[in-house]
Amino acid sequence: MRVLAVLVLWLLAASVSSAQSAPPGKLAKSIERVYGEGVRIDSVRVDTATVLRISEAGALLGFAQVRNVKGKDQPITYLVAIDPADRLKDIDILVYREPHGGEVAYDSWRKQFRGKAAGAPLEVGKDIRNISGATISSNAVTRSVRQALAELTDWHRSGRLK
Amino acid sequence: MRALSPWVMALLLTVPPLAAQEKESTTIGGYGEVHFTNATGPDTPGRVNVARFVVYLAHTFSERIAFHSELEVEDTKVEGGEAGGEVAMEQLYLDYTFSPAVTLRAGLVLPPIGIINETHEPPTFNGVARPLLEQEVIPTTWRDIGVGAVGTLPGSSGLSYRVYLVNGLLAEGFSAETGIRGGRQEGKQASFANPSVTGRLEWTRPGLRIGGSFWYGGTANQNPAIGDGAFDAPVFLSSADVRYDVGGFAFRGLFANINISNADRISAAFGESVASRITGGYVEGAYNLLAALAAASSQRLDAFLRYENYDTQASVPDNVVKNEALARRVTTFGLSYKPLYNVIFKGDYQLRRNQAGLGENEVLALGVGYEF
Repeated sequence: MRVLAVLVLWLLAASVSSAQSAPPGKLAKSIERVYGEGVRIDSVRVDTATVLRISEAGALLGFAQVRNVKGKDQPITYLVAIDPADRLKDIDILVYREPHGGEVAYDSWRKQFRGKAAGAPLEVGKDIRNISGATISSNAVTRSVRQALAELTDWHRSGRLK
Repeated sequence: MRALSPWVMALLLTVPPLAAQEKESTTIGGYGEVHFTNATGPDTPGRVNVARFVVYLAHTFSERIAFHSELEVEDTKVEGGEAGGEVAMEQLYLDYTFSPAVTLRAGLVLPPIGIINETHEPPTFNGVARPLLEQEVIPTTWRDIGVGAVGTLPGSSGLSYRVYLVNGLLAEGFSAETGIRGGRQEGKQASFANPSVTGRLEWTRPGLRIGGSFWYGGTANQNPAIGDGAFDAPVFLSSADVRYDVGGFAFRGLFANINISNADRISAAFGESVASRITGGYVEGAYNLLAALAAASSQRLDAFLRYENYDTQASVPDNVVKNEALARRVTTFGLSYKPLYNVIFKGDYQLRRNQAGLGENEVLALGVGYEF
């Protein structure tokens, strides 16, 4: 199953040409960590975006998306994953390219996002704590997650994502 | 390998099987700061200066190899025969990333010492000028040529490290007032007589960063009056720092100690009054007034107070007479307004005192800064 997932994600990475991608193996591992082993991953298009639909034995587990956000001067490639009720399951930093500020990849920081819904402030200094000395990265990722969560929720509720 | 399921086959037929590769890309960023400073009182004119204009240029060659640089213009221009002004490469290195735990780095790098040296963009610190301790004790922006490794320790330990073998300091530049600052070679046609090691270990949690740094290396530059070994007249620097943000509060503190061996020979050889030990620290507290006045706002208005206490002649060799005016106490208070997290307007007032009570003054400063 792992082999299949890697293959699909490799193909997906090849088909998404707009921005920096993540190594497929890393993405597969990340999805496995968030949703469990052996889940089915389908690629769904919404407008110009590609969303991963995650399911197991016909039951929807949620949606995930690979996004890029500019840090200080490099894109940060991350996975945002939601459950069927549009709550954030997790985020995962897939590729971090800046020389500093990589602490946004730490679990202790990422876990603040779990369970957030689209109405949450998702703002550094309010419901998300800053990483001292990595202000740009923590603000950039937080803002991007807020937008991703709003969009995924909107697509799902409006039926464009099923 | 298992057989491909129908849904994978369908995808195989519809998607061209190109390799998923990191695209080559060139990125730019930068920061800048403009200062107004009056160190001589209200009856005399202040000074205005474009203190820094900095461009970051980076290029990603592949998933593993990237180039980073920082080019800086200080004081708007460099004019022949005039003091001040500098055009300088502050960073220029290649990274080879094996894993998050190990990235090899080679080129002109920043010794990972203290708070400001690696993170010196104006919106990241309070006060128009950098803390004086991080100019006169830890000589920011400190950079030199070397090789090393950086990374985060695996798992969720929150630990990260940087360690470099870099070119060393030259004792001939040391002074009583600013310690080792003048000894930096900054990668300019530099003598590679004294390789040095520097490194840092950091522990990070949301809101908290604690770090410890060191530098060790000789400074003799094969000057017979001081020593001809690569590690003769060594400088040993150790420092610890903490940054802690909680609610509307932000605290930071730093302590640094520098031991200069053979300070007597250095002082004699160059006619300077070089200390055998330099030490000091600062603490700073800030509170975001908007957290109390306008809780819904995402802007910040930080009121801050910083106290610095340092002595660039904490201990002197027998052939040097200690100057009590170098035992300095500096109190700085002011406001930092950040409409966005990467734009800042600053104002502060600084009280500069010393043990001898000589040449004490007060400084008013205003500034704007940005980074992107």
